[in-house]
Amino acid sequence: MKVIALIAVIMTGTLLIYGAGDMPDWGDPNSPANSYVSPRYILEATEKTATPNIVTAVLADYRSYDTMGETVVVFTAALGCVLMLRKKRNGEGG
Amino acid sequence: MLDYVISKYNFWIYIILMMIGLYAMIGKKNLVKKLIGMNIFQSAIILFYVSTGVKAGATVPILSGHGHGHGHEVIEVAKYINPLPHVLMLTAIVVSIATTGVAIATLILIYRKYNTLEEDEILMIRKETGV
Repeated sequence: MKVIALIAVIMTGTLLIYGAGDMPDWGDPNSPANSYVSPRYILEATEKTATPNIVTAVLADYRSYDTMGETVVVFTAALGCVLMLRKKRNGEGG
Repeated sequence: MLDYVISKYNFWIYIILMMIGLYAMIGKKNLVKKLIGMNIFQSAIILFYVSTGVKAGATVPILSGHGHGHGHEVIEVAKYINPLPHVLMLTAIVVSIATTGVAIATLILIYRKYNTLEEDEILMIRKETGV
């Protein structure tokens, strides 16, 4: 079992190392992730949202519905924990 | 060859972390160790995403000199690191906290019922009791 796991992990690692060859170098300012969308946010975010912190501007202004959904995720997780760990009344299974 | 390895050294670190996490999830029998493996895996992905936003010589994406009436200064894009991976990974961290919390609650329930967290012992108990 452990041998199979090790083989699967090494195969995955080999694939990832092979795939890393196509990734841009570390700290490259012209990498694809840094060149198409994000300059627009850096240039316009402060003007449009009046927030100097761009991360906050994107999180709470551009993606505010996503952040609201996040609170639903946290709420559901807390609800699940409480429902699973609450003290059971006499006679209830668990 | 050495240049190639050094220029992408961040990816090797994440690949090693992901392999450790994946092995812990598949190979370990203890459920807590599996959960820790999942957290290592998530950390590797989060670090990977944050590292895609790095620009050499840039600073944090907080603009200075705005809101004090200095007028419009020219913003140099190369001076600020990419904020989008940071935002997306904030969301991912929240989700990972939620999944970890629910998983630990489930583990507590499993321990209460079977008095063990070893996967094979739980399977044996389930086979013996015929559940």
